[in-house]
Amino acid sequence: MRIAKRVATHVILIAACLFALFPIYFIIITSFSTLPIASITAHVLVPKPSQLTLASYHAILYDQSPSFASLLENSLIFAGSAAAIGLGLAAFTGFALSKFQFPGRRTFVYFILIISLFPGFIMILPFYLMFAKIGLIDTYIGLIIPYSAGAVVFSGILVKNYMDSIPDDIEEAALMDGLGRTEAFFRVLLPLCLPILGLAAFLAFIGPYTDYALANVFLTADPTKWTLALGLYNIANTDTGQQNYGLVTAFAMLMSLPIVAFYMAFQRYIIGGLTLGAVRG
Amino acid sequence: MTGIRLEHVTKRFKTETAVDDVSAQIEDGEFVVILGASGSGKSTILRIIAGLEVQTQGHVYIGDMLVDDYEPRDRNLAMVFQTYALYPHLSIYQNIAFSLKIRHVPREEIDRAVRQVAARLGISETLERRPAQLSGGQRQRVALARAIVRNPEAFLLDEPLSNLDAKIRTTARIELKRIHSELKQTFVFVTHDQAEAMTLADRLAVLNHGRLLQFDTPQKIMSDPASQYVASFVGSPEMVFLEGNVVTKGTAFAFVDGPVELPLMGTGGPGQITVGIRPWDVVLTRESRDGGLLGRVTGVERLGSSDQIFIDLMPAPSAASPSGRGPETATVSLRALARAYDYAVGDSVYVGLDADRALFFDPQGHRLESVTASYRPA
Amino acid sequence: MADLRDQSLRFRLRREWPAYIYLIPTTVVLLVLNAYPIAYTVYISLTDFGTGGPHSYLAYRYIGLTNYYTGFTTGASISWSLIENSFIWAGGSVALFLIVGLGLATVLNQEIRGKTVYRTLMMLPWAMPAFITILVWDNMWQYETGIINGLLSQVGVAPVDWLQHPTTAWAALFVTNVWLSFPFYTVVFLATMQAIPKELYEAASIDGAGSLSKFVHITLPYLRPTIIFVGLMGFLFTFNNFYPIFLITSGGPGVSTQIFITQSYKDAFELGGSPAFSTAAMYSVLDFLFVMAITFIVIWRTDLTRNWLK
Repeated sequence: MRIAKRVATHVILIAACLFALFPIYFIIITSFSTLPIASITAHVLVPKPSQLTLASYHAILYDQSPSFASLLENSLIFAGSAAAIGLGLAAFTGFALSKFQFPGRRTFVYFILIISLFPGFIMILPFYLMFAKIGLIDTYIGLIIPYSAGAVVFSGILVKNYMDSIPDDIEEAALMDGLGRTEAFFRVLLPLCLPILGLAAFLAFIGPYTDYALANVFLTADPTKWTLALGLYNIANTDTGQQNYGLVTAFAMLMSLPIVAFYMAFQRYIIGGLTLGAVRG
Repeated sequence: MTGIRLEHVTKRFKTETAVDDVSAQIEDGEFVVILGASGSGKSTILRIIAGLEVQTQGHVYIGDMLVDDYEPRDRNLAMVFQTYALYPHLSIYQNIAFSLKIRHVPREEIDRAVRQVAARLGISETLERRPAQLSGGQRQRVALARAIVRNPEAFLLDEPLSNLDAKIRTTARIELKRIHSELKQTFVFVTHDQAEAMTLADRLAVLNHGRLLQFDTPQKIMSDPASQYVASFVGSPEMVFLEGNVVTKGTAFAFVDGPVELPLMGTGGPGQITVGIRPWDVVLTRESRDGGLLGRVTGVERLGSSDQIFIDLMPAPSAASPSGRGPETATVSLRALARAYDYAVGDSVYVGLDADRALFFDPQGHRLESVTASYRPA
Repeated sequence: MADLRDQSLRFRLRREWPAYIYLIPTTVVLLVLNAYPIAYTVYISLTDFGTGGPHSYLAYRYIGLTNYYTGFTTGASISWSLIENSFIWAGGSVALFLIVGLGLATVLNQEIRGKTVYRTLMMLPWAMPAFITILVWDNMWQYETGIINGLLSQVGVAPVDWLQHPTTAWAALFVTNVWLSFPFYTVVFLATMQAIPKELYEAASIDGAGSLSKFVHITLPYLRPTIIFVGLMGFLFTFNNFYPIFLITSGGPGVSTQIFITQSYKDAFELGGSPAFSTAAMYSVLDFLFVMAITFIVIWRTDLTRNWLK
């Protein structure tokens, strides 16, 4: 019986892994594949070496308009700025909520928790109308502003929880050493929060980086400002993309690389941070 | 460099009063220990002096300066925390140098000061390491170094030895005293350990429920405690208390509790009274001696230097019960300091009390200073 | 810092006022970019912006609850479908998340070789950006060119026109959604399970309990708070999970898989030259109301309020 249970366990887990990995495998293989994907009979799971090529990658990187480099640059500008601003907001919010006991603290937390329940996508319509009215459509600032607001509450709570675990007496020691509360924040507390700040920055970055819906609405006329997400959607929906899905998957790989790399490097923190919140709940 | 004065300092919370009208003058250069049980308010007082807590009422002076409105950073005090509170992300060198760095002290001067204090405390090899890599004892010394290097007006120490292993604690204690005598600065030290307090203090402040019960030298507190609580808290093994009555014996009064009878001088009249006597003033002999009471050993506690023998006194024969035993007689129990291997449970011993050293208290715990005992009848 | 709970209001203000300064930027952001847009949306939903003819783009009128009225009473209205679909989408997905998550977590919670490898591999779907992977899933579900049908035909099963029929469309959506989220739920449940003291299970074994009994009486009660929490979060998240439906089915066939948020986006941005902003706004408002109602009901009924506020 024990053996049967062990076998069943591994079978289930292997099945789960296959399920999880298959689409990713598909993306990777297709991006290196020479086969035209448009016909069913051409679906081969394990291509022969002669069927592998870098042509798709080459095409994506060099033969696109707007160029991949331009798309990448824009994505980095938007997501990077939003991450920087969002990080600052999260750090300040977390600090204020964690280390101060000001009147109205409880109300404020309820307020931001309720606000964080507003579905983000609902904001797209009013943002468009608001920003169109003041002429910020098709601009960098116009899109960076909504992007910055995305992860503020969640990241703020993350920082707060992390700061809660920093003993009060370290801050007190800093006060005794001659710092004011503000200085103590910047010079002692923040450096101690680097792990969670890294996570917060990551969360603030990844939303805008992978956003299509809002960018599609805000960046209509000017292709020089288009982001990677817009580029990917376009290529997936044109004929060339559908004829040669290798192009689309190559694009997808290139676009995903920074995210996956970052995630792999920090996965322990990310999983730890998530499960901590969930277990306590 | 300066003394510290507390004037009617009170700290009230919604549900309790942590510090209750405490006034004290700490002299420049003194090593003062604030002693109290958990929740007695001792840490609160220290934090009020530091500026980390703000008192509800009263004033704090450092030197002649009223510092009530001063932030901690402006009070020029140094604090050693019970958990040491070292900056985890900085090296030991940077931890010690921190306060100097933010005052923009020139780099060479910082280097000199840090290395000097590190050498003094024996932590020079740890300067490049991080706090997490150090032992508890080393961390405690770093915390101390961090305070010393600032050359403050006074040092505040919040149970800095409580987290150390017992063996290291004694060495650390001696070292601390040595540093104090070298620096000649004011130290305010908080602890719940009365032995620690007795060895370290120039003067000792005993706190209970926020009230300052006595502020005196350790010797005076031992010999002349202000209340029963102080008497019981200080001194190890703990004082023996017998609750009895003042009884008229002819023209004089005597303390009576079971077979124990002590002639009293200085009492007002009959009533309940408690006598306190230190276990080392309880004398045990094998043969009956002048005035010795018969007792039976009920327990032997081996603690090494302070073995205690537990004795139950045999009830005195009386008219109601000639044999001495009766349903009404409660057993009088004592403890004596004696060598454990001289006695075994069940032994018969004769107990004598050094009456000159007996202290008396009323039923509320107040010290009756005028009352003394003597074996010589009045 | 010091415990200030018992100090007077004035005292706390005097000492803790810098907190307000630190919170000003966030408050401004939340008010301007969260609270105000919602209010604005509500207002738009009460006008004929875009639905009152060509003039209504420059000079729209306030028409009160007309949109809502027509949205729920007209035969051609899709509001009821939207409600139904949104709940199917969210409820069905969460149910699957919990089942798969709990199941896999239970399986993983044993002493097995390669546990970390399995876990890392299973986390991969969650590590990749959803927008990208959903786009690819769309391609995989295609009738003629999709690899899923390709694989099916290779094992002798007839290809299915997934996106042509409501039932199969939902199936495709659910499979995709499970793929996206099951790693998260698995890891969360696994972590919680690992915190359960082993002695409880051992005692139960001695008492004669079997695996199922142990699961029901020990594991589940321990997991209950977590299940409720992630279940609620998952429901709310899926209720407004835009990309799967937008990219794979576009709400189709017809409106059988259309939810509030995708319909709102369509009305506002995909109707070419004549967007219907007011109805888009209305759908947003309805969406929002449902989300709020569900949240408050669950919090109220299960007392989720954690006191991590000192």
